[in-house]
This record gives sequence, structure tokens and C-alpha cells, in this order.
Amino acid sequence: MSEKVLSIENLVVHYELEAETVHAVNGISLSIGKEETLGLVGETGAGKTTAALSIMRLIQSPPGAIKSGAVVLNGRDVTGLPIRRMEAIRGKEVAMIFQDPMTSLDPVFTVGDQIAESIALHEKLSKADAMKRAEEILELVGIPRSRALEYPHQFSGGMKQRVVIAIALSCNPSLLIADEPTTALDVTIQAQVLELMKELKNKYQTAMLMITHDLGVVSEICDNVAVMYAGRIVEVGSAKDIFLHTAHPYTEGLFNSLPNINARVESLKPIPGLMPNPAELPPGCAFAPRCSYAGERCHTSKPVPRELESGHIVECLAYDDPSFQIVRRWGNG
Amino acid sequence: MNGNTCNLQSPASKKAQSHWAGVWRQFRKNKGAMAGLIVVLLAILTALTIGFFVDYDEHVIRQNIPMRLQPPSLEHPLGTDELGRDLMVRILYGSRYSLAVGFGSVGIAALIGIALGAFAGFYGGYKEDVVMRLTDIFAAIPGLLLGAVIVASLGASLTNLILALGLASIPQFVRITRASVLTVRDQEYVEASWVIGLTGRKIIFSHILPNCLSPIIVTATLQVAQNIISASAMSFLGLGVPAPDPEWGALLSAGRSYMRTHGYLTLFPGLSIMLIVLALNLLGDGLRDALDPKLKR
Amino acid sequence: MAEPMLVVNNLKKYFKTPGGMLHAVDDISFTLEQGKTLGLVGESGCGKSTTGRVLLRLLDSTGGTMRFEGQDITNIQGAALRKLRRKMQIIFQDPFSSIDPRKTVSQTIREPITTNNIITGKAEVENRVLELMEMVGLTSRLTNTYPHELDGGRRQRIGIARAMAMEPRFIVCDEPVSALDVSIQAQILNLLKDLQRSNGLTYIFITHDLAVVHNFSDEIAVMYLGQIVEKSPTEELFKNPMHPYTKALLSAIPIPEYGHKKERIILKGEITSPISPKNECRFQSRCEHAFDKCRSECPPLVEITPGHLVACYLVK
Repeated sequence: MSEKVLSIENLVVHYELEAETVHAVNGISLSIGKEETLGLVGETGAGKTTAALSIMRLIQSPPGAIKSGAVVLNGRDVTGLPIRRMEAIRGKEVAMIFQDPMTSLDPVFTVGDQIAESIALHEKLSKADAMKRAEEILELVGIPRSRALEYPHQFSGGMKQRVVIAIALSCNPSLLIADEPTTALDVTIQAQVLELMKELKNKYQTAMLMITHDLGVVSEICDNVAVMYAGRIVEVGSAKDIFLHTAHPYTEGLFNSLPNINARVESLKPIPGLMPNPAELPPGCAFAPRCSYAGERCHTSKPVPRELESGHIVECLAYDDPSFQIVRRWGNG
Repeated sequence: MNGNTCNLQSPASKKAQSHWAGVWRQFRKNKGAMAGLIVVLLAILTALTIGFFVDYDEHVIRQNIPMRLQPPSLEHPLGTDELGRDLMVRILYGSRYSLAVGFGSVGIAALIGIALGAFAGFYGGYKEDVVMRLTDIFAAIPGLLLGAVIVASLGASLTNLILALGLASIPQFVRITRASVLTVRDQEYVEASWVIGLTGRKIIFSHILPNCLSPIIVTATLQVAQNIISASAMSFLGLGVPAPDPEWGALLSAGRSYMRTHGYLTLFPGLSIMLIVLALNLLGDGLRDALDPKLKR
Repeated sequence: MAEPMLVVNNLKKYFKTPGGMLHAVDDISFTLEQGKTLGLVGESGCGKSTTGRVLLRLLDSTGGTMRFEGQDITNIQGAALRKLRRKMQIIFQDPFSSIDPRKTVSQTIREPITTNNIITGKAEVENRVLELMEMVGLTSRLTNTYPHELDGGRRQRIGIARAMAMEPRFIVCDEPVSALDVSIQAQILNLLKDLQRSNGLTYIFITHDLAVVHNFSDEIAVMYLGQIVEKSPTEELFKNPMHPYTKALLSAIPIPEYGHKKERIILKGEITSPISPKNECRFQSRCEHAFDKCRSECPPLVEITPGHLVACYLVK
């Protein structure tokens, strides 16, 4: 198998609050190879962002704590590294883009300064050289050099997100974590930013973890997809596996609840109910209370990962029955 | 048949828990604030009940010259003053005046200030300009000076002191109320209230003010402390509660002449002022933390 | 033929800003028939939400007229306005800020009923509240809970129940699902659709998400910088978009299908400022087909095929 940039093994992250323990991430494993893009899909509260922050070791602690598991980045486990070492790795080996471009930039420094700062921090460059690099990078994300001297408030939302991307890529990290990078943007701007990310990813051969709730964005940019629900990865596979051979009932439900731009339907088919409270997870499969296929066993015992085809893994007890199949309502499946 | 009647039973709702229950849970964790709350409650309790235990004429103001300037002893735990009166009794009784001034003046200021601030913040435009500019002018006069002028013209008495300090604290409340009304006013639930046919006045009272209470409560608590200090200062200057009433600032002032020889006469009233002000500040800071939605959970 | 339920003519809403007049809504006209849904689509800052608020008289219009059920509502005030609001309601985008955090579920739903004396009698009102809660899919167990204990979907249901308590005939849905997760989104969309069917409601559905309105609207108006640039029956718009902006908007939507390849129109630049716009096509700076006329005159909205209106000099 090819070398992995990132592999997470059995990661468990809890938030230990006074009144309750929030089981945010409950044993997830995933890996990303060189130049590969993995989409981490799920709804609010599924644990996507917690998982990403754990990779960066940015979980606020307390109350957050990595209880067990390993996060192997370029061959070494970062979960136990001293925070000093971790600071050197952040930005250099792994960079992160957040959802809200408005708050990720410091309003009192010029855009050029902010990019140069990140470069100067990780690469031994003089101030002038770092500024020069910063201008080059700005140009790369489609912003004229001359605007390096402007302040963030002079930029629109889409341009700010480009600047954030420019900062993230400034040190040529081997892994880029993008947490809903286009969610706050308008569709036409989202298209621009996605196009840019695709371009840069190819140019720099960066591996990417794309966190999103939007299956459209996933189909646009991801090679592999992991679907997360209540802190577990319930289905993982290539984009083709997930889109064409959907296996988990939750993934099916996600597809079914999307309004289809190509076909008008009388009424949508939502997933009934709500995601369970991560502080009070049910004893069995976390999706069972909302699942139309759930049998008695689903409510009492936890499903284990099962490989359907090479690389396509699903966590669902229904597949104990070899003839089990789910029904996608639309799409090209 | 579909999402419309979907099952909504989730474990989320155990028991209805109001906003205030959550605030109290948060507040309880703060040891300093709890200590402050206890001291303040004890002081209020003392002020309310002291009249049942001591007789004003007999114990508080009756002079007993032979017993003058006694140092602390078993009989007089905090000693006696220059006219032979028990200092502890006078200090305990004095809590009535200090607290009355503190809470009374803040009560007046809050009543007027909140009304003006809510009016200015909610309606905006020229109405807001008028109220706020008047407030600015009012706030430009030093509070102590304003108080001194009012007391000097109306005469020194407890009521006038409360009135003076109350008027001087109005700008604080106008400003804090207006600022928080401005943030709440633009929430969509206020728009929703218009759409369901509520009148402006109803919206202010049932939707806006309840959501502005947090900063107002904090300001009020801190302002009580501030006004107790101001009252003591004014009494010290002879502009506050007239003798022989044992207001703490007046006790401090009276003890001043004996500071070198009988330090306890200034030490204990001073400590009392310090203790209640510290307690109120701790309480205010604790409330601020407990009421801050960002710190919750 | 009787007049449509809602007739909007040359509606304008300008805001004074330090930089000049902000043309949030600039001369839009449309009509809406009883029981139908008009989708108002556009990106942030295009004036779609302002339009909704002007219609409900939460904002005063700068110019133009609005008629609702034959009555001119452009400038009505006081009691007449309160009476109008019995018939017109709004559902807000943000389920977190649209519900008073200090009120329980039943207090929020009860308020419109008691304020307007829609029903009198304590028991009757309580019954109605429970009925409304059931109507929007909230279990009666939640009557005394506070909003912060509930998720976005259920809060949105409270907002819908509050609007339905007025027994309205017309509802402006201002991005009612864009703050919700997809699985919850579908629940709310279905709920709105069922309510429309059972109560004969008329909707204006404001959204930035074309996929959502495709499912929901009879007609779609695409807005750009305060103006309607294209208006057409839904199916027609998706099959045959004519305005370059609509085309770009449609092509920009990521499709959740594997290997979906389509030629994508990537617009250059971003929405220009709506402050003191020049007399030109507002889209021309981003339009690759723009020619001289586009820069000297603002194109009017003209009917190209029956029911399909476009504001573009390129479309004949």
C-alpha cells in the first residue's frame, strides 16, 4: 500500500463536563494517502470538527480529552507529542482552514503581513523574503499582489477565504484540513473557491481532509468519502462506492433527503427523528432509532465494521443477512 | 406519512429548566461570588432585624460619658466611642443606613435609567439623540459634586442622600440599558413580535427587557457598592446622614480625631465598608460570569 | 379575472448609508396567485430578504405599491396594519434568534393567540396551543421546555407554529431551512408543503438554494443586486435559463452525483456594491457576454416567451 500522510486509529475523544460526558468521537479509523482527498461527511454534532481538531491537537482541554487511539501524521503519532513540537508541526506539516473567513483573519494586520508571518514562523526567511513569498502566494490564489497591503475588512468573504487558503498553503503542508471551507459563501463564490482548491491541491500535491455536510461538494472534490454519525464512521469507501453503491442506511437517508435539482419530487423523504444526544448514546447502533431497516438486535448490540468490497467498509448489522440491500430513491445508482 | 409527523421523542428534554436555574448552577461554582452573596445576605438580614434586638434610643445614641473611649473588651467587643457608645452596636445598626443608601439610590437610578435607556434604544432616531445627549451632560458632572449640591440645597438627611446618589447614578443605567436594548432589538424574535401584532410597549416589556436583564443586574450590583462608598464619603464630609445616626462614613469621620490614640474607632467602620463593598463586587463579578451566555456549558 | 392575491408594482427600498444610497430593492414587480408559491432566489445582498420584510411592512418602502387581496397595503398603519398581519406571516431563517430565549414553547405559541384574541377562554387557548404543536410535529411533552434545550429543527417548528397561530393566508418563508442539517431540512420542507396543502396557504419562499425552490415553487424570480433579472415558471427556468447570471448560478451548484460532469460557468469577481449603482446592467462587470449597451443602460425585464421574463439585452 502507498505511504499514508495521515492515519487515525481508533480515536476516542470525550468532553468531560461536570454534569455529563459528551462522547464526541467514539473510535474512528481512517487514512489519507499522498495527494488524496478524503471527504468527512456528517451533520452538526456528528463529531467531524472534533476529529479534525484532534489531528491538530487543538481540542480545548479541559473539558476535551483524547481518551485513546493514535493520530499518525507522516509516520509519527502526534497524540503524545509535547505541545512545543506540535506547534512546529501545525502550519508546516498540517494546516487547517475554518468555516468562517470573517473571523479567521486578524483585523489589525494587513493581509500580506499575516501570510508572511506564517511563512517566517516556519521557514527561516528574512522579513523581506517572507513578504515576497506572501505576495507570490496571493497571486496564486487569484488576488493581485498590490492588495497585500490592504486590511481584511477591505476584502469580500470569498476573497478572505482565498487569503485563508493562501496562509494555509504558504508552508506547503503535506496535509490540509478544510472544515466546511465554503459553507459560509454564496454558490457562485463557492464554485470559485472549490475550483481554486482543486487547482492548488494538484499543483502542490497536498493531501486533504475535507469536512463538509454537503454531498455536492464531496462529489466535486473528493476521492474517498467517510460518513460520520454520532462519533462513528458508519461508512467509508471511494466516492464511487458511496455515491453508486451506497451501503449504510444513514448514507441512504442523507441522499434521500436532498432535494434534487434535476428532478422535482412531490415530497422529500427525510430521516425521521434526530441525532442522539452524544452524552446519552443508545446501547446498540446509534442510528437504529431512526433507521427503517433496524431489527431488534440493532437496538442492543453495536455493529462492527464490515468490508463489503475492497476499501468499502460499512458498520451495519443488517449486512449479516447476505441478501440485504438498501434502496436509493434517485441519483445514478 | 413523512417528516410532518415524525417522531420527536429524544432524550433531550428531561425537565424544563429555566434560564435562571442554569444561572444559579453556574453561579454556585464560583466560591468568591458565593462568599460575597453570603456576606451581602447576612448584612441585609442584620439591617432588617437589628431593630428587634437593640433599642435605638437606649443602645445606639444614648451617651455614656464615663465609658468613653474604652478599648475592645468582652463587654464591648469593638470598644466604645468618644461618647461612650458601644461601637459594635453602632456599626451593626449603621448597616441599615449604608444598605438603605446603596440599594435605595440604585433603585431610583435603575427605575429612571432603565426606562429612559429602553425608550432611547428601542425607538432610536431623534428620541434617542435627545435622551443620550441629556445623559451625557448629566454624566459630565462629577457624581460626588452633584450629590453635594443636592444635599447642600435640600439639607442633609438620609432621604436626600439617597435621592442625590440616585440621581447621580442614572446615566450608568441609561447607557447600559440602551446598549443591550440595541443588541436585542435587532433579533428576529422582536421582528416576529411585530408580525404577531404586539405593540411597541408590549414588546419592550415582555421581549426586550427580560433579555437585557443580565448586564443591568451586574451594573446594579456594582453600583450599590459604588454608592455605599460615595455615601460614606459624603457622610465623612458632613454632607450625608447627620449625627447621631451611626452611618459608617459618619463613624469613620467621628473616629478620625482619635485615630492616633484609638485606632479601632476608624479601623472597624472602615473594615465594614470594605467588607460589604468587596462582597458586592465579588457578587457582581460572579453574576457577570454566570449570566454570560458564552461561558455557559 | 379577479386580481391576484398579491400585486407588487415597482417596489423600491433604499437605505441611507455613509457611502450613499444603498439600493437594496430597486424597482421590482410581480404578482402572486392564491395558493401558489413564488421562489425568490439570489445570493447574499441581493435584496431578497429586504423584499420579504417590506412586504410584511416590517420596513417601509421607498417607492412603488403593494396590494394584498385588493387592498393597498403600501402605507397602512396602526390597527389596519395589525389586522393585515392576521393574514400575513413570516418564518425566519435563524431558528436561534427568531425565538425569545426566555419564553417556553407554549408561551411563544400562545402569544399571538392571546394578543389578537383569536380564541378566548383559558382552556380553549391551551387546547389550541396543543393543536398547533401537533400540527407542526412537536410532542405535547415539550410545552414547558425552553428553546435552548431544543435543536434547530424543533425551534423552527415553534416558529412555524407561532405563524400558524395567526391563521394566516400568506406566509413569507425567509430561508427557513438554510440553517438546518439536510435530514432536518427535508422534514421542515415537507411540513411547509403539507401546511400549504391543508390550509391553502400562499408562500413567498426566499432562498439562495435553487435545489430547494425547485421542489417547492410554482414560479421563480431570480434577484441580483436588488432587481429581478429573470422570472419564470419553475420547470421552464431549470430547463431553459436565459439570463447569464441564472445560468451561472445553476451551473455553480455542486451536484451530489458521482462523476457528474458539466461545463461550469465560473464567474469572475463578486457582486458589486449596491450603493448608488450606475445606470447599467448590474451584472455586466461579471458577465462575459457584456457589450456596450449593457454598460450604458439598465436592461428592463421583458417577456421573452409566455410567462418567462428576462432582463438582458442578449436575450431576444
